[in-house]
Amino acid sequence: MAAAAVRDGDPGPTQELLVAWNTVSTGLVPPAALGLVRPRKRAAGPRGVPGIRPWGSLGSPGSPSLASPAASPPLHPFPTCPRLSAPFPSPLCVPSLRSSALQASSRTSGAVPPKEEELRAAVEVLRGHGLHSVLEEWFVEVLQNDLQANISLEFWNAISQHENYADEPQCLLLLLDAFGLLESRLDPYLHSLELLEKWTRLGLLMGAGAQGLREKVHTTLRGVLFFSTPRTFQEMIQRLYGRFLRVYMQSKRKGEGGTDPELEGELDSRYARRRYYRLLQSPLCAGCGSDKQQCWCRQALEQFHQLSQVLHRLSLLERVSAEAVTTTLHQVTRERMEDRCRGEYERSFLREFHKWIERVVGWLGKVFLQDGPARPASPEAGSTLRRWRCHVQRWFYGIYAGLRIEELFSIVRDFPDSRPAIEDLKYCLERTDQRQQLLLSLKAALETRLLHPGVNTCDIITLYISAIKALRVLDPSMVILEVACEPIRRYLRTREDTVRQIVAGLTGDSDGTGDLAVELSKTDPASLETGQDSEDDSGEPEDWVPDPVDADPGKSSSRRRSSDIISLLVSIYGSKDLFINEYRSLLADRLLHQFSFSPEREIRNVELLKLRFGEAPMHFCEVMLKDMADSRRINANIREEDEKRPAEEQPPFGVYAVILSSEFWPPFKDEKLEVPEDIREALEVYCRKYEKLKAMRTLSWKHTLGLVTMDVELADRTLSVAVTPVQAVVLLYFQDQASWTLEELSKVVKMPVALLRRRMSVWLQQGVLREEPAGTFSVVEEERPQDRDSMVLIDSDEESDSGGGGVAARRVVPDLTGLCPQLFWTYIQAMLTNLESLSLERIYSMLRMFVVTGPALAEIDLQELQGFLQKKVRDQQLVYAAGVYRLPKSCS
Amino acid sequence: MKVKIKCWNGVATWLWVANDENCGICRMAFNGCCPDCKVPGDDCPLVWGQCSHCFHMHCILKWLNAQQVQQHCPMCRQEWKFKE
Repeated sequence: MAAAAVRDGDPGPTQELLVAWNTVSTGLVPPAALGLVRPRKRAAGPRGVPGIRPWGSLGSPGSPSLASPAASPPLHPFPTCPRLSAPFPSPLCVPSLRSSALQASSRTSGAVPPKEEELRAAVEVLRGHGLHSVLEEWFVEVLQNDLQANISLEFWNAISQHENYADEPQCLLLLLDAFGLLESRLDPYLHSLELLEKWTRLGLLMGAGAQGLREKVHTTLRGVLFFSTPRTFQEMIQRLYGRFLRVYMQSKRKGEGGTDPELEGELDSRYARRRYYRLLQSPLCAGCGSDKQQCWCRQALEQFHQLSQVLHRLSLLERVSAEAVTTTLHQVTRERMEDRCRGEYERSFLREFHKWIERVVGWLGKVFLQDGPARPASPEAGSTLRRWRCHVQRWFYGIYAGLRIEELFSIVRDFPDSRPAIEDLKYCLERTDQRQQLLLSLKAALETRLLHPGVNTCDIITLYISAIKALRVLDPSMVILEVACEPIRRYLRTREDTVRQIVAGLTGDSDGTGDLAVELSKTDPASLETGQDSEDDSGEPEDWVPDPVDADPGKSSSRRRSSDIISLLVSIYGSKDLFINEYRSLLADRLLHQFSFSPEREIRNVELLKLRFGEAPMHFCEVMLKDMADSRRINANIREEDEKRPAEEQPPFGVYAVILSSEFWPPFKDEKLEVPEDIREALEVYCRKYEKLKAMRTLSWKHTLGLVTMDVELADRTLSVAVTPVQAVVLLYFQDQASWTLEELSKVVKMPVALLRRRMSVWLQQGVLREEPAGTFSVVEEERPQDRDSMVLIDSDEESDSGGGGVAARRVVPDLTGLCPQLFWTYIQAMLTNLESLSLERIYSMLRMFVVTGPALAEIDLQELQGFLQKKVRDQQLVYAAGVYRLPKSCS
Repeated sequence: MKVKIKCWNGVATWLWVANDENCGICRMAFNGCCPDCKVPGDDCPLVWGQCSHCFHMHCILKWLNAQQVQQHCPMCRQEWKFKE
């Protein structure tokens, strides 16, 4: 009707316009907002706004408490809008307008806002004057001012009360109240917003599109309200959301008949069971964390729901809760992970976590009001939830991979058992970009935990083998292995016993690297002879996967993929000759020093190695083994001949020989030795028998090798010993002459003085000889009390050896090393007296440095020494603690 | 003191009783084997000629087979006869 008046040429168009404007302005915004323009002192107003009141009792715009600013009616319908102030003089300056303005406002300042039709009519009038274009802008402006001056302050005021509340239920109520207040304040605006949108749709207003206006309003709202958010507010929100999640999770558990669906599935794990019972027994509610009697889970859920609804209506949901939700999720995921996964490699956690994530997403649906049948999932809502799920999953993969990467060294160490962890990690790595992190972290862990002098070579090799197995599962292209384990290979190259350890492992001699023997006996080994060079000869083209970016382009992918443990180990040195030579000398040692070798096993090993290294390099070893077999046959032959002879022609003692093909064995040390007459005769007899057996061939004895068992009969005791021929010969000279000077003996034996002295040390050790004065040796026919100590040692030593009970006794085969450990024992005692305490490795390396008493002694390896020392510990001649050996107090 | 030896396990290498180290034909050590063989000793024996030169049996046989007319010792060019 107003529009009609305009068209009819009504005499008071200005007045009519003003009336219309007043109608619209008072209709659209709450009167308080219009009062704003007046004295700035209003700015202090919100302080006076009544504080928090119980939910529901908040005043509505018309309620007396809020009516105070409206008591003086809005006289200025055009607040701070400079563009408007020019064409529209302030109503204050137009006295004639005042009454109608008052009239209009008095109508609205009552409980009843102007009817929609009235407003619409007024808008029509404005439209007639072309003013409709500014209406929206004005609306936003007013809202912004109101927010700045009143609402925001009021809201934060209410929030700041939370400092008085320590416990969560109260905080939650407060938050609810504060947002309720906010909503009630904004309610008129939102209502008007709807009207404006409607008019825009009807074409009354120009609008920037309805969506534009709404967005603008919400942006303003968020901008002004959260222009500066106090830290404490964020913290409170976060704490409450954390609680909400826990309450929700707990309620889900309870909701399904009291059993915990999550725990049910995993009650088989002892850990989970323990945790479950702890939960049952705890007096506190797992959800809200308060006493079970005072559990407020139910209220909490309701209140959270209300809060979410309020926030949703205000479009503040994302703004207020997104950050808190994110932080909470991160925190909870991390906690859960630390709690369950750390150190636990033997089962996969992926499925469990996927289930858990689904439940978390259920919670998110609750937070963002997108679940429940009441609200049909709109595509938009679905996408939000999808986004969140994606986020949670990615976050989970990221930190799970991070955790596993951090623990990778331990995982690798435990490998066959930790396979689930490796597979989890593989799955996660495919989804996160943490390859570099993995490489760096693993390398660092290797450097600090493995590659230092404190670790046995054999342990390093064992770990390397596990790493090969584990990382192959993780990365079939083997690039991670290649890159991360390069330090191990580099380091192993610097250890001198690497080859020996690997070879020993291959032949199943050492305990630590037994895997290698198994690996060796696997069928279809990758031959080291012919690296498969052809690039794409194997597999379906469909299955082809490119190499990772960090692969070394210089190496062919298929070769890398096909390399197995043994070829990787052997390639540490880049050449297999080293290994073959080492194997050969190791085999020689075993054959010559351990008369108790097992031919079948050695033959099997050689055959297996032939598969790997090829026929030709192993040829020498084959001949060596054949020599052993031939020798046995020849010995049996000769023995048979001997037995046919009459008793008087029988040799005084049995002579047996291992007859070697010199060209095929590693070179031997050649020691000259003048053998006493009777022995030489016996050996020559044997030699003649051999010559008879094999025409045109003869024997050359190697006295440094071999084993002589004999009884040494002294006045008061008899020793039964097994020594090398040289040692035996030396003692034999003492039979005829009880005392020798070193020089004399050296001339007779034809052995350099220094060497002779070393050889004789065994007998000094045994208490058979003594050096008195220096350089003169004589037989100790009767033991003197001060020598008794060492004699006791020997007795106990031999006893436990022959008993064969312990590990040590099995390892230190008595008749092969004979007196050797005993010899070491003096050295060890001297070392420990001087240096107090030493580790096994230290003792070993010092022995190797100082004790060079012949091949038989150099033979002892770390394990044997360890066995020997352990025996000493058992006999209480040594004390072992904290990784070092020391002498017991009384002994020193 | 009396030492009573119970058992003497010695180690020895075998060698051909020959006046040379290497086979004059293949230049390999007598104590090794000829290039065609894998195992020395019984499987790759030496033979002596009446000229007192000796060779791996396989080597000299190969040589003799290659000789068209008369069979000479490759070292001294005397007629080759196996030493009985």
